[in-house]
Order: sequence, then C-alpha cells, then structure tokens
Amino acid sequence: MIKRDIFSKSWWKYLCIIFLTYTVIAGFLMPVPALEILHETIRNLYFHVCMWFSMMFILTVSLVYSLKYLNKPNEDYDIIASQSSYTGLMFGVLGLATGSLWARYTWGAWWTNDPKLNGAAIALLSYFAYVVLRNAMDDEQKRARISAVYNIFAYAMMMVFIMIYPRLKEVDSLHPGNGGNPGFNQYDLDSHMRLVFYPAVIGWLLLCSWIASINIRTERIKRHLANQ
Amino acid sequence: MAIIQRELRHELRSRKAWLAIVLYTGSTVYISYLGLQGYTDTATHNAVFWLLIIFISMFATSGSFAGRDSEMFYIYTLVSPSRFILARLLYNGIFLLSVSLLAFICFQFFVGFGDTNQVLFLAALLLTVWGISSLLTMSFSIASKGGGGFTLMAIISFPLLVPLLITAQHLSEMAVAGSDTSGYGGYVTVLLALDGMIAALCYLLFPYLWRD
Repeated sequence: MIKRDIFSKSWWKYLCIIFLTYTVIAGFLMPVPALEILHETIRNLYFHVCMWFSMMFILTVSLVYSLKYLNKPNEDYDIIASQSSYTGLMFGVLGLATGSLWARYTWGAWWTNDPKLNGAAIALLSYFAYVVLRNAMDDEQKRARISAVYNIFAYAMMMVFIMIYPRLKEVDSLHPGNGGNPGFNQYDLDSHMRLVFYPAVIGWLLLCSWIASINIRTERIKRHLANQ
Repeated sequence: MAIIQRELRHELRSRKAWLAIVLYTGSTVYISYLGLQGYTDTATHNAVFWLLIIFISMFATSGSFAGRDSEMFYIYTLVSPSRFILARLLYNGIFLLSVSLLAFICFQFFVGFGDTNQVLFLAALLLTVWGISSLLTMSFSIASKGGGGFTLMAIISFPLLVPLLITAQHLSEMAVAGSDTSGYGGYVTVLLALDGMIAALCYLLFPYLWRD
C-alpha cells in the first residue's frame, strides 16, 4: 500500500539540505549593504520573506487539491489539501514570528497596525478556522467536501487581503513595496544579496514541501490503518 | 422569484422574529449610546457603529436560518441549488440592508456622527452589508452542514469578514466629520470587487454543499 511518487524520492531532499546549509552560513557571513535603520537585520530577508513565499506556495497547492477534490472526489486529494494547509499554517506562524522580531528592531514595536500584518493575521485566523471546521465533522466524505469549499473561499479572501489591498495608494504601510514605498529589489537588493536570496527561496520551498510530504504520508498511513 | 416571495411572506408572518431583530438593534444601539457617553470624536463612533453592524448581521442571519431544516428538505426537491442560492443571496441582502438601515437611523438619532457625508456613508453601508450578507449566508450553510451551529459560524465567518470591515471603516471615516473625501475611489473599487467575488464564489461553490 505504499505509494511510490515524488514524495518518496530523495534527491530533492538532499538539494534542500544543501541550499539551506548555504543559506544559513552565507546568510550570516556574507557582506550586506550598510543601510540606515535596517543595518544587519536585513539578513532576516533570507528567512522572513521565504516563510511567506513557502506559505503561499503550499496554500496554493492546498487550493489546487481542494478544487481537484470538488471536481472528482478522491480521498487522496483531501489528504494532500488538508495536510498542505496545516503545513502552510505552520509557515505562517513562523513568518509572523520572524517578522515580529524584525519589526521590533526596525520599527520599534512587536506588532504594528500595518495592512500586511492585518492580512497575515486574518489569513492565519481563517486557516485556524479551517482546522476547527475539519475537527467538527466526523464523516470523512462530508468533511472533505465541506472543508474544500471553505478552503477555496478562505484562499480567495486571503489573496485579496494580502496581495491587492496593501498595494492601494491610499493605504499606509511600513512594508517595502506597499503603500507607495519602494520595493527592496529596486534599490538595495544588490548582487551579493541575490546570491543568497534566490537559493534561500528554493531551499525553504523545498523544506516546506518536504514537511508537507511527511505529513501527507503519515496521514495516508493513518487512514489506511483506520480502514483495516 | 417564488422563493424570495415565499421567504418574505414567511418573515413577515412571523412577527416575533421581526420584533426580536428590531429590539436587538434598538437595544444594542442604546447600549452603545450609554457606553459612548463622553467620547465625542467621530472616529470612535464610526468604529463602534461597524462593530454593531457585525453583531446585528450575525444575529439577523442566524435567526432567518434557524429551525428550517424540515422545510429545506422540501425545497431541495423543487429547485436547483444555483437558483436557490441566488434567491437566498438576494433575499438576505435586502433583509440585512433594511435591518442595517434601521441601525443607521437609530445610531444617528442617539449617537450621531457629526457632519456626515450621507451619500458616501450610505454607499459604504450598502456595499459592505451586501458583502456581509452573502458571506454570512455561505458561512452559515457551511457551518450548518458541519453541524456546529452558531459557534462554528462565528469562528469561520469572523476572519473572512475582516477585509470587508476594514475597508468599510476606512471609507466611512472619510464620510464622517466632513474630512477629505477625495480618495474614496480605491476603497469603493475594493468593496465592489469583494462583493462580486463573494457572490461568484457562493454561486459556484454552493452546489457542492447541497449534494448529500
């Protein structure tokens, strides 16, 4: 009953280890541009931003599998969708933690009333609600179908709030690239930082997929044992 | 159409339900009036008003769904899910709009916003309440299928309501106290987009909740 798919291949896991080891070593040791206010905290770019990229990636995977489930009810799609969004939730919490730390040392507070922070908080709350909703139902097929519907709904609302709303000109934001602020890549993400940032993104995305794949495979085994 | 008519008749006939909602609206507004004694700035009034709108909407929507399971079964056999959800969205939208208009009038009477740009404020109210009603209709359908009732509905709908509410609050802040209203276009666009998106999602996703 063990499925042989991309999850059980090991080459991409080695790749993940290599990229992340490089990220940690180079991220802390390579030179960074000396900027006002940011100073050395700019190194958090390799961690904080990657957490959000990973979260968006894995939640998009979850969305795709929810859509696939509604199109064709298959238990495995439900497992992938649910476990991916649990993993996304974990990366979201890490993104908030790293961001909060960064905000403390650059903006002066752990939490600010910033549209991106509000968006992140809403996204996490709605995915926690997804967990609650799933736990409220016992019947497997019903749970799969209804949570897929909610997942699609929550994802759409989250995208509006995280991606579109902070970009409005009227909205004040402290984040780079929002509310009329220049983005990082326009002026200070120099070639040294790109050398670390791009591998970091790939490394974290791979780690995220790895964690999700472990969750998915564990859940498959659990369901298999429960059905026996 | 027939469904809307039927719902309307049902609602009008049950005077108790109407009275309950009117009373709920009146008393929450009055409580906020008492609580707001001494707070003269309109921004606070505005924030409290939108909080009231959420709670009144939750109360009104859950009331219009409660105890209808046996009837629903009958409706299932008669109409298609997409027609049903369209009727439901229209009916709930109109219903919540009238309730929130009542809340607005009461709030103006007791608390007041100062020198308000009425047109802009009512536009914000209309767009937001329409979105809230569709969102709550969908959340309630999800929650009732999940067997969780009111608590589950609150948990799943609150985070989804926030985008609407924050935009509405920013927009209405422009309308109260005669502040600068030049930048309202962006917020109105966001509200319209949200309303459209929520309605489209309800229409597309509701049939999957229906099937049992």
